[in-house]
Parts: sequence; structure tokens; C-alpha cells
Amino acid sequence: MAEREIETTLLPHLDSAYNLARWLSRSEDDAKDITQEAFARALRFFPSLKGSAKPWLLSIVRNTFYTSIEQNRRTQHEPFDEEQHGAADDALGPELLSMRNADVVRMRSAVEALPAEYREAIVLRELEGFSYAEIAEITGVPIGTVMSRISRARAKAETLLRRGGK
Amino acid sequence: MTPQEKEAFSYAAPADLRACITGELRKADLSATESVRPSSRFFYVALGLAWAASLVFVAGLSSLQSVADPVMQQVVSSHVRSMMAEHLTDVDSSDRHTVKPWFGGKLDFSPQVEDLSAEGFPLVGGRLDYVASRPVAALVYRRQQHTINLFIWPSSGAATRPRLHMQQGYQVFDWSKDGMQYWLISDLNASELQMMAERLRGQ
Repeated sequence: MAEREIETTLLPHLDSAYNLARWLSRSEDDAKDITQEAFARALRFFPSLKGSAKPWLLSIVRNTFYTSIEQNRRTQHEPFDEEQHGAADDALGPELLSMRNADVVRMRSAVEALPAEYREAIVLRELEGFSYAEIAEITGVPIGTVMSRISRARAKAETLLRRGGK
Repeated sequence: MTPQEKEAFSYAAPADLRACITGELRKADLSATESVRPSSRFFYVALGLAWAASLVFVAGLSSLQSVADPVMQQVVSSHVRSMMAEHLTDVDSSDRHTVKPWFGGKLDFSPQVEDLSAEGFPLVGGRLDYVASRPVAALVYRRQQHTINLFIWPSSGAATRPRLHMQQGYQVFDWSKDGMQYWLISDLNASELQMMAERLRGQ
């Protein structure tokens, strides 16, 4: 039985792992620590890896992140009022689509202002290109929750962006 | 999102992090391939121990004493050498009255030489040998095609009954009587060799 080589299986997803860690932690230093810890865990649990490596690794990254904020309590958890921000459309808003490089910094801070669950959902969807089903798998929530989180994240980001731009 | 937009929003892993994690992963791959060898090495060690344990068990079943008895080891080696080197005998004779005097002046003792041809163990001859750090008498008998060596030397130990040992596929009996140590060895089956041992001991 051919063993999967760890380096060729996991290393291609290092950027994705770091990207998620970076968006979740909103800090380069924390993102490095989380990514390193996540890879250490991935090495430990590597024999249990059955299917695709990327969603498996990213679920470890987010678990590592949530464990770290619970342990350190250095990242405050802003609760997101779903009733207040309920309305959203499923497509990307015009601001997101017509974005120019100059807007990137503003857009980033808009997304970073979102709660962690929304950040991870939108990063996994928009940057890593996962399907809703895959995101549900990675984050361990029902697919409906994933869909509503993503749409609300978009709406909230646009709101924040508009507000920031004025 | 366009690829450009994705790129603009995505963070790439810093070089130092990449270097560090790449090293960790390579190390894990290396130890994963190496871990196969230690485990199989462990398997062979375990196999060897099991084999040794089974030898001790068989030895215990056959009421053997120490497997590693150096004197017995020398007896076996001497027996094997006597057949390999075609130096089985220094004196070829089936006549004990020829063989026994031949040892005179060559040893500081006079070994008892028995004629067992009536029991089917004809005497072939005798030779000088060196066992247990001293010159000893080796009497050679035959049973059909089996060569039998009987080693005799003086000993101060108490008289003992023949005890069977098995070593390297040979049956070995040792006993002492009248201030002499006897070692009888052959690939002959144990029961026939025991018969011979008891006849020699004079039961």
C-alpha cells in the first residue's frame, strides 16, 4: 500500500491555509502561529486523512484558530445580529465587482470587521472557491447556515464599505 | 471574483513560514519511511527472541541443562571436527586390547575401553583430543552409518546418571562414574544412544 507523501500532499495548500489563518486572526504574527500549529496537528492526524487534503487542512486551520482564541482570549468575539442584517442578495454587490486596486485596502478592512464565522465563510467561498457543501463540511455547520452567512457577509461588507467610503 | 481580485485579497504564506513548514513536512516524510525499517527490525528481533525462547522451551522439555554449557559445546565441536577432517581415529582397531594400550603414555589416565560389538556398537578406534582445557581420550564407535564419539577424562565430581542434551541436531549424554567424566555424542537417535550410555556405565 502506497503511503501518501506528506510534503506533496500538504505543502500545495500552505498559501490557502495561511490565507484563512490570516483572515481569521487579522494579524500576520497570529496567522503564522496558527498555520504552524495547524500543520503540526495535520502531521499528527495525517494517517486519518482519507479524502481531499485541502478542505481537511483548512478545517484544521480554523479549529486551531478557534482553539487559540479560546485559550488566549485575545481576539474578542463580536456577536453578529442576524435580524438586523437579515436582508442580502446572493450575488456579489456592485462595489465588490467593480473593485479597483485602490479599494482593496478599504475592502479588506470591511471584511476584517466582520465576525469570524462570516470572514471564514466568505474567504472559503470567494478566495478558495469552495462550494457551499464543502464549506459546510469544513466549518461543521448546515449548508443553509453557510449560505446565509455568506450572503450576510457580503451585505455587511458592502454596508461597511459604503460607510467607510463616505 | 476575478483572479486579479482574488490575488489582491489573498495573503500568501511568508517565506520564513514556508521554509519552516517545508522542513517539518520533509522531516515527517523521512521519519515515515525510516519508521518502516525500525519496526521490521523490531519484528526480526522479536522473531529471534521467540525462536530463542522456543529453543529454551524445547531444551527444558528434553530435561536438558544449560544450553550454553561450554564443555558440551566443545564436545559437539570436537565430534563435528572429527568427522569433517577425516581424522576420526589415531588408532584404527576394533580390538579394545589394542586401543586401550595405545593411550598409555599419551594421557595421564587410562580410559576404560568397552567392547560393545555384541550390542551392535562396534569399536572403530581411538584418538587423542583436547576438550575442557585438557587432553582427553576419544573412543569412536559406530552404529550402522552413525558415528559415535565417546570422550573420557578424569573428573572430581560426584557420580551422575546419564543426562540427555540436544545440541545442533546431535544427541549428547553426559555422566560421571568412578572419577571419570563421560560425554557420548552422535546423530544416532536418543533411545539407542541412551541404551549405549547405560551399557557403558554398567547398568
